[in-house]
Amino acid sequence: MNKKRLLLLVAFFIIIGGYLIYNYMYQDHRNIETEVSQVEITGPYLLERFKNDDASDILNSTITVTGVVTLIEEGAVTIDGSVYCSMDNTSGLKISDAIKIKGRCIGYDDLFEIVKLDQCSLIK
Amino acid sequence: MKIRIAVLVTFLCGTSMLFAQGKYTTKTGEIVFEASVPSFEEVKAKNDNVSAVLVSETGDFAALALMKGFRFKVALMEEHFNENYMESSTYPKATFKGKIKDFSFSELSGSEKEYKIAGVLNVHGEDKSIDVPAMISLVNNNIIVKLHFVLKPEEFKISIPKVVSSKIAEEINVTSIFTLTTTK
Repeated sequence: MNKKRLLLLVAFFIIIGGYLIYNYMYQDHRNIETEVSQVEITGPYLLERFKNDDASDILNSTITVTGVVTLIEEGAVTIDGSVYCSMDNTSGLKISDAIKIKGRCIGYDDLFEIVKLDQCSLIK
Repeated sequence: MKIRIAVLVTFLCGTSMLFAQGKYTTKTGEIVFEASVPSFEEVKAKNDNVSAVLVSETGDFAALALMKGFRFKVALMEEHFNENYMESSTYPKATFKGKIKDFSFSELSGSEKEYKIAGVLNVHGEDKSIDVPAMISLVNNNIIVKLHFVLKPEEFKISIPKVVSSKIAEEINVTSIFTLTTTK
């Protein structure tokens, strides 16, 4: 009886442990759309911060960028010529629209002198 | 006054020459790397926001990939890639600067032709001179550059702990496609 109970207990811990390990190994990706934005910033100011090397706290965090659409490409919009936001759906957006976009800041591209955001979603 | 005009004319000529150079660019180049070992979890990531510039007169080619832009299937692998191996907060980007050997824009056609690109690749803050083959074609006035090459983590001072080294291939296969368009 006691042995059986011990066996059950061990099996129980193995199952729980396995479940926890599995959850840790295969945790979900971040969902930028539902994450709370860390900071709200204008496009040119964000670029300025990266140019001045003052953006380590922004890298990889979810931020909101405000400004005017200056370029629409397939799967991306550019805000004020300074922030490139890649997003799945750009329909309904026009050049010179004032917009607010939430996305994950992935860094500064010094070839185009532009800050890049991915997984963006339109707020306004 | 004459000198001033001369200076102005040279300056204007200089800038117009700069504009006359055909710059082909993209912000949506694609890099895929794979370091999978059979029977273990797939180690593969893709970045489809890679910037690249090609100057059609000279064959100068530059590319830049932001490390945080590499997406893995497994979220934890992506986290380890950024935090432990690439240290992408300290080294946020990988860059390449080079020149396509014997490049001639007028020789490009719809069928792929093999060229060699020689240049310097910088990953994890380490420079490495590489010489990679590239298949280049011209389709609908877009220059398409396809690359395939192999890298080793130790070449860029990326140390992989013993615990996981059996699950990550020693040689990393990198494939890349750039569809470069003329800037309007």
